[in-house]
Order: sequence, then structure tokens, then C-alpha cells
Amino acid sequence: MNTKTIHTESASLETIENGSFVRSAGRLWQEGTRAKFLDAIRDGTLPTEAFERWLVQDYLFAKGLTTFQAIAAGKAPRSAQKVLIDGLVAMEAELQWFEKLASEHSLDLKTPHHPICQRYVDYLIASAYTKPPAIHLAILFGVEAAYLSGWSRLEASGPYEEYIRRWSNDLFSQYVAELHQACVDHPLKGQQDEFNTVLCHERDFWTMTYEG
Amino acid sequence: MKDESCVPSCLHQMLWDENSDLVDRCLHHPFVRGLGDGTLSQDSFRRYIAQDAFFLNSFAKAYSLALAKTESTDHAKAFHGFIGGVLDELKLHAAYAESFSIDLSNVQPYAETLAYTEFLQSRAWHGELSEILAAMVPCMTLYRHLGTSLMSKLRDDHPYRDWITSYSGDEFAELCQGLECLLDEVASNTPSVRQAYRYAMQCEFDFFTAPLETASLN
Repeated sequence: MNTKTIHTESASLETIENGSFVRSAGRLWQEGTRAKFLDAIRDGTLPTEAFERWLVQDYLFAKGLTTFQAIAAGKAPRSAQKVLIDGLVAMEAELQWFEKLASEHSLDLKTPHHPICQRYVDYLIASAYTKPPAIHLAILFGVEAAYLSGWSRLEASGPYEEYIRRWSNDLFSQYVAELHQACVDHPLKGQQDEFNTVLCHERDFWTMTYEG
Repeated sequence: MKDESCVPSCLHQMLWDENSDLVDRCLHHPFVRGLGDGTLSQDSFRRYIAQDAFFLNSFAKAYSLALAKTESTDHAKAFHGFIGGVLDELKLHAAYAESFSIDLSNVQPYAETLAYTEFLQSRAWHGELSEILAAMVPCMTLYRHLGTSLMSKLRDDHPYRDWITSYSGDEFAELCQGLECLLDEVASNTPSVRQAYRYAMQCEFDFFTAPLETASLN
């Protein structure tokens, strides 16, 4: 990653974190984006058990998110479809990446969902079918912005460099900025509430990955 | 409670037996104990009824979505009957609302209630008929079990007499049996069916915890 892309990435994240969604979320933003799990990666103290739990549960979450995105892409107005379809294509690559990693670590991806993961995925899928497209955009923006922010606080080095880069690189940052723009272009009452709900799920998910 | 009308190998009976630990925990839950001996505070009961009314609206929707996924008229008729059962339960809740002064017009769901309803909606919209049924049977059979188990505690001045008698009655038992038979007919003993059943039973337990004064509400 060159200096120019680092600059772009920070600029996007800065724009997002200074935006009204994050500012209106208040303390929930910190709670949903800062985690003992990420601190342990930074400090080099992450227990193997926590890493493996995260890998499996995040894969199960990603599968649920893919379902959510597929339904959202189908229901979205044409003006919001490109960012959702691009995101859906990226999810296929992400699922394959998880599957490769799980195989390398001999982890069983058929493990049942942890109840916290189950709750998050149920929320996404129920929302995909029952809530309007503009709300889907706010939900997806919340999910991806939280991941971008959480991982971007870490220096991309050490044994988890590959993971950190995946969710802090300029392309991902650009994608999140486009989701933010889609929310701005398709405003709807209730978007902030859903954004906040996503942050609560993120907070609980991070806690689960570290504490079980 | 064991359903004598079914042989032990019935799927619904197998799932019930597999989850007897959670069933026992529900039966001995402080909320249920209080409901049984009449010591449950009226405030807890009010909160519970409000959340249950919110839940039942979601339950009725799940039945409706399941009905849309059936391929036989007989199954569709069965779901039509189950929906009628939920609407009757909601009438009972409206009666509780009047006698206990509960506002059902703008219920804010607890986290535990949302976890349950979003699980149901997720299965109902996205899942196969077998998973939807597995997610819905625990609510019915557990309540039949609780109603029947608490019957021995009934007395003339019991404050929650109507709750106990309605869930221990023949009408409710008939609905339960119909739903169990449908599960046996439609579903197989697969991991997704077992997981949906157990998760729903856990949701039932959490649902009883939320309205208690000691619970951390949201």
C-alpha cells in the first residue's frame, strides 16, 4: 500500500467518523468498534481459542450477511444497486478466503452459530425481508463502517497483517464511503435507529469472540 | 409432559426429550413458579403480557408465511386453524389488558422479545417449512406443559387462573397436537431442525426472565 492510498483510506474513514451517523450514535460507536479482541491482536496476546472462534463465527456471520445483501440488492432502487451488487461480488471472495483459512487451521465451518451470532444474522435476514431498501443501506453501512473503523486502528503488521489489511485497505474504505453516500442519497426516517442497532450487535459480537 | 398419542420415535417427541433440560429450567423459572403459586407481581405479569402480545403478532405472521409455503390444501387448512388459535390468544391478552390495565397499543419489545421474533421472522421468510415448524413447536408444547403442570396449584382466588386454565385446556392441547403432527409429517431429524427447536426453547426461557423486576431490561 503506497502513501497515496493510505491517505485516501484515512480520508474516507475520517469523513465517515465525522458524519452524522457516527456522531449521532454517540458512545455506541466506540462500543461497536473497539474490542478486547482487536486490542489483543495489537498487543500480540490473542488466545488461539478466541481467534478460532472469531474465524468460524465471522464466517457464519458473513454467510448471513451475503443473504442479506442479495435480498437487499434485489429490492433496492436502481440508483442504489451498483454498490450493493459490487459488495455482493466481494462477499463471494470473502467467503472463499474464510473457507481457505478454515481449512488451513483445520476448523469446522459447520459448527452451529453461537447464540450471539445467531441473533445478529436473524436480525439481518428478518430486516432484509421486512424493512425498506433505504434501511438496508443504513444497516449495511453500519456493519461495514464498524469493521473498517475497528480494524483500521491496528498497524498492518505481525501475524494478523493479512486480516488487518483486508478490512482497512483503500478499496474497502472506498466501498464503505460509497455505502455512506448511498444512505445520504436515499434518506429515510429510522436509518439512524438501525445504524445504532447494528453497533449494539457489533459490540456483542466482539465480546463473544473474545470471551466465548 | 409425554404425548401418549405418539410413538416414542416421533420427531416431535424426540425433540421434546432432547430438550428436557431447558423444559425443566422453564418450569422452575422464578417467573413460572410465581405464575403457578400466584406470587408473581402484577407489574411483572403486565410486562409479560405486553411482550407476549407483541410476540404473538409475530407468531401469527410466521404461521401465515408458513401457510404460503405449503403444497397441500390439508396443510394450508391446518395453518389456517393455527392462525385462528393465535388470534384467540390475542383476544385473551386483550382481556388481560383490560383487567390488569395494560397498554398494548405501543409495546416496545425487550431485547429478548426481539431476539425471538427476529428468529421467527428469519425462519419464516427465509427457511424451509420444516425449520419454521421446528421454530414454532416449542412455544406451543412448552405452554401446554406449563399449563398442565400448574393446574394442581389452582385455587378459587388464584390471580392467574385464566392463564393456567387456557394453556391446560383441551382446545389448546388440540392445536399443539395438530402442530406436532404436522412437524412429524413435514420435517426430518436434521441439524437445522434440531438447532431451530433448541434455539426457540432457549428463547422461551429468556422470555420469562425479561419481565422480572430483577432482570436487566434492555
